[in-house]
Amino acid sequence: MRRRHVALSAVIAVIALTFVSLPFVRSTEGQALQGEYKIGLLEPLTGPLAFEGKRHLDGYEVMRDLINAQGGVMGKKLVFVVGDATDPTAAASEANRLITREGVKIITGTYSSTLCGAASEAASRQNVIYWESSCVDPRFNKRGLKNVFRTEIDATGFGWYNVEFIAKHLAPRFNLQPNQIKVAFLAEDSSYGQGVTEAARLRAKNDFGMQEVALEYYAFASTNDFSPIIAKFKQLNPDVVHHIARSSDAVLFWRQSKEQNFQFKALVHAGATGYGSIDFGKALGADGNGPFVLAEPGPGLRLESFRPEARKLEQDFSEAIKKRTGDEPLASHRLAGSGLWLLKLVLDQSKTDELEKFRASVLALDMPVGSMLNGWGVKFAENGQNSNERVQHYMLQWQQGRMMTVWPEEFTTGRAKWIPLGAWDQRK
Amino acid sequence: MSAVPQLLVSTILLGGIYALIAVGLTLIFGIMRVVNFAHGEFLMLGMYLAFWSFTLWGLDPYFILVVAIPVFFAIGLGVYALVMRGVIHASHNVQIFTTVGLSTALQNVALVLWTGDFRFVRPWESSVIIRISGAATNLSQVIAFSVACLFTFALFAFMKWTHAGRVMRATAQDGEAATLMGINTDRVYRLAFAIGIACVGVAGVLVSPLYSVYPTAGLQFVLLAYVVVVLGGLGDMVGALLGALIVAAIEVIGSYVFGSAWKEVIYFVLFIAVLIFRPAGIFGQRGAEALGV
Amino acid sequence: MRRHALALVVFGAAALVPLVIRDGFFLDSLVLILMWGAVSGAWNVAGGYAGQVSLGHSAFFGIGAYSAALMATRWNASPWLGMLAGVVLAMGAGLVIGYLSNRLKGPYFALATIAFSQVLLIVASRWRGFTAGSEGVPVPFRPGLWTLGFASKVSWVYLVLCLALVVYLVQVYLEHSRIGYQLAGVREDEDAAQALGIPSRRLKVMAVAASAALTSICGTLWAQYVGFVDPFYVFSVDLSIRFALNAIIGGIGTAMGPFIGSILITSLETFLRTAFSDIRGGLVGIYLIIYGCLLIVVVRLIPQGLVGWFGQRFRAMRRYARA
Repeated sequence: MRRRHVALSAVIAVIALTFVSLPFVRSTEGQALQGEYKIGLLEPLTGPLAFEGKRHLDGYEVMRDLINAQGGVMGKKLVFVVGDATDPTAAASEANRLITREGVKIITGTYSSTLCGAASEAASRQNVIYWESSCVDPRFNKRGLKNVFRTEIDATGFGWYNVEFIAKHLAPRFNLQPNQIKVAFLAEDSSYGQGVTEAARLRAKNDFGMQEVALEYYAFASTNDFSPIIAKFKQLNPDVVHHIARSSDAVLFWRQSKEQNFQFKALVHAGATGYGSIDFGKALGADGNGPFVLAEPGPGLRLESFRPEARKLEQDFSEAIKKRTGDEPLASHRLAGSGLWLLKLVLDQSKTDELEKFRASVLALDMPVGSMLNGWGVKFAENGQNSNERVQHYMLQWQQGRMMTVWPEEFTTGRAKWIPLGAWDQRK
Repeated sequence: MSAVPQLLVSTILLGGIYALIAVGLTLIFGIMRVVNFAHGEFLMLGMYLAFWSFTLWGLDPYFILVVAIPVFFAIGLGVYALVMRGVIHASHNVQIFTTVGLSTALQNVALVLWTGDFRFVRPWESSVIIRISGAATNLSQVIAFSVACLFTFALFAFMKWTHAGRVMRATAQDGEAATLMGINTDRVYRLAFAIGIACVGVAGVLVSPLYSVYPTAGLQFVLLAYVVVVLGGLGDMVGALLGALIVAAIEVIGSYVFGSAWKEVIYFVLFIAVLIFRPAGIFGQRGAEALGV
Repeated sequence: MRRHALALVVFGAAALVPLVIRDGFFLDSLVLILMWGAVSGAWNVAGGYAGQVSLGHSAFFGIGAYSAALMATRWNASPWLGMLAGVVLAMGAGLVIGYLSNRLKGPYFALATIAFSQVLLIVASRWRGFTAGSEGVPVPFRPGLWTLGFASKVSWVYLVLCLALVVYLVQVYLEHSRIGYQLAGVREDEDAAQALGIPSRRLKVMAVAASAALTSICGTLWAQYVGFVDPFYVFSVDLSIRFALNAIIGGIGTAMGPFIGSILITSLETFLRTAFSDIRGGLVGIYLIIYGCLLIVVVRLIPQGLVGWFGQRFRAMRRYARA
C-alpha cells in the first residue's frame, strides 16, 4: 500500500514541478528600474521569417540607441523586452507574457501580417497599446480597436503606388496610354503577395483601365521552375510584369526569363523581399539590371530634399546600421527605425502611456513629407493608420548590382534607366 | 506550339532532380520500411556543404560532389548508429517521431550556426545557357540531371547485380527470412541508410546552384520526395526515376494549363488516388502495402 | 475512483489554480496546456485507441478554426454555430480519412493524411473569395458567452478545462465500453478481430470521425482564443505533429497520456522559448534543438509514454509489495 502511494506521489511531484516551473520563467522585477522605460518587442526570431525578424530587431536596437543618445523617451532610457513570435500561438502567448510578467504598456513589432493579427488581439484584450511598424494586412486597422496603431502603410498602399508608377511614369515613356498597357500579374501566394497584387489589380482596372492578361499565384517555397509560366506569358505578350516575389523566386524568374528570352518592357515589384532584397543583387550582379522595386529609399536619395532634422536622423541611422551589419540599411531596418522614432515623438508629446492621452497625441501629429527617416511625414487617421500620402514610398531600380532610388524624381538623384527594357544583353 | 519543347525539356530536367532526391529515400523506405522525416534536412546539409565550400574556398560544387559522397556516407553511418538502429524494430510511431525530432534538431542547428539568411551558390556553370531545339536551360541543371541519372542507374546496377544488392533486396522482401538465411540484417540496414543519406547529400550539393540555401530548405522537397517514392513503388530505383518524371510532368503541364496555384493540389490528389487504387505504386508489387508494412 | 486518481489530481489542480494564482502569463500557459492536451486527446481517439496514426489532424483543427472565424465574419453568427458547422464538416472529412484507413496501413496512411491536410491548406490559401486566401481571417472579439469572447484568462481556463474533461471522459469511455474493447481488438490485430465478427471497418471510420469532431471543436476554441486564423499555420504539418507528439510522449492509448504529454512539452517549450528570448537573434533556435533531441531520447527510451511507464512501475512495485 505504502509503495503505491509513494509512486503516485512521485508522479504528482514530477508533474507539479513542471507546472510550477512556469512562474519562475525569467522576468525582471515587475516594472523597470528607475530612469528606464520598458516596452515589449515581438519579432519572429526562429522559424522561416527569422532572417527578416532579426533585421527588424537590429533596426529597432540601433534606433533605440540613437534615441537614448538624445535623452531617451519621456526623459527615461528606453529598454526593450524581446519576445520570439514564431507562429500565431506563440505571438499571442509572448504578447501575454510581456504584458503580465514584464508589465509593458506598449508592444511593438511584428514584421508579418499573420503574427500581428494574433499579437494585437492579445494586446487589445488587456488594453495595451500595440504599435505596429511593418505588417501590411489591410484589415489590421479595420477591427475598430482603439489601441492599435500602424506606422507603415498596408499592402493596398503598395499596390496603389506600383500602379501609380506604371501609369504616370512608365506609360508615357512607352508611348502608351495607361489603358493600353497589358499587365501580367505574378505573385507568391502568401498574405503579402496576395494583398499587394489584389490591390494593384483593382487600381489598375478601376482607375486606369489597364488590361490584365494573366494572373498567376505560386508557392514560392516549392517553385523551382518558372518555365511553364514563362512559356505562357511569352504567348500573352505583356508590356509590364507585376511580380511580387518572396526570395529566390525573384532570381529564378529573372534568370529563366533571360534564358528563355522572354521580353517585356518593365518589371515592377514592391517590398523588401524578392527583388527588394540585397540577395538579388548578390546573386545576379549586373545581370540583374532593370527591375523596379517599391521600397524604402537607398542610394540616390536626395537628402537635401528632406528637412534638416530628417537629414541628420538619416545619416546617423545609416551609419549606425553600417557599423552593426556592414551594409546599407535595408527596408526592414528602416521600417523598424521609423516606427520606433514615431513612437518616441508620440510619447514625448503625451508624456504618458495611458491610452486616451496617447491616442490624442497620435492623432495630433501632423508633419509633412520629408520630415523624418525615409522622408516620411506623418498623419494618422482615426483608425490608427498612418496615411498613404504621408508615408512616402520610393521606386528603386537595380543598376549594376545596386538598388538606386529613382522615383519620385524630386527626391532622387538617381534616374530610371532602360525604359523600356531592351534585349537582355543590351542593358549596361 | 512553341512552348512544347521548353515544357518537355523542363519536365525532363526537373524529373531528374526529383529522382535524385527520391532515390535515397526509396532505398531507405524500401529496405528499412522507415518513414524518414529528416530526409529533407540531409539535403539541406548537402546544400550548405556546397555553399560554404564555394564561399570559403572557392570550390566548385561539382568538385565538392566527390567529397560529399564519403562525408554523407559517414554521416549516414553515424546517424544510423545513434538514432536509427534503435527504432528499426519499434512501432511506426516511434520511427516517425524519432525522425521528426531529428528533423527539428537539424533545422535549428543550421539556423543557429548559419542564420536564416537565404544563400546562393553561383558557379560559372549557372551562367552557361544551353539551347536544345527551341528550349533553353542552363548547364547546372543539365549536370544535375546527368548526375541524377548516373546515380540512379548506378544504384540500380548495384541492387541488381552485386551480392550486397541482392542481400539488401532479400532483406527488404522479408527481414525474418533473411535473418534465417544468415544475413546480418543490422549491417544491411546500416548500409542502406548510409547509401541513402549519401545520395541525398549529393543531391543537395547538386541542386545548390539551382535553389536558394536556407535552414528550412528541406521541407519543400520532403513531401515531394514521398509522392515520387510512393508513385514509383518502394525500393524500386527505376520506379523512382519514372515517378519523378511523372510528378515533374504534372507540375510543368499543370502549371501551364491550370496555373501554378493548383499544381500541388493536382499531385497531392494524384498521390491520394494512387494510395487508394494502387498503393504499391504504379510500378510496385501489388499488395505490398497491405502486408503489414 | 483510484484509476482516475491522476485525472483528479491534474484537473483538480487546474481548477484550483486560477483561484490562487492571478498571473496572466501563467494562466495563459495553463490554457494552452489544457488546449493542446485536449486536441492530443482527440487525436488519441483515432491514433491511440483505434491504432490509426494520423499526421494530418491539422485538417480537422483548421476546419474548426475556419468555421468559427468565417461564420463570425461573413454571417455574423455565433462561434458556437461555427463550432457546430465545423463538427459537421470535420466529420465529413473524417469519413474520407476513415475510408483511407481501411485501405492503407502504417506509413502509407500517415502520408495520405499529410497529403489531405496539405490539400486543404492550398485550397484555404487560394480560395480568396471565401476564405480571404493567404491573408487569413481575423476573428472578431465580441465579449459575451454566446459570442465566445472572454477577456478574462480565468474564464478561458474553466472553458478549456470543460473541453479537456469531455475529451478525457470520451477516452475513458473507450477504455471501458464494449465498443472500446472491440476497438482495442481491431488495433491489436485486425484480422483476428474480423475473424471474431467485429465490424472493424465501420469501427475505424467511426473512431476517426469522432476524433475529427473533437479536434474541430478544439480548433474553434483556439481560434476564439488567439484571434487570428492563418491557413499556413492551422493546416500545417507542424501542428499535426504536435498533436500526436503529446499523446505519444504522455502515453498513447491512455486517457491521461495526452494531457501529461502536453504539460511536459508545452511547459518545456514555453520555458525554453522565454528563457532564451532575450539572447541575440540567432541563438534563440537553441531551444528547438533541445526540443528535437529530447523527442528522440524520450521516444526511444519510453515508447509507451510516461503514463504507460509509470503504470508499469506501479504494477511492478505492487507485485513486489505483495511478494
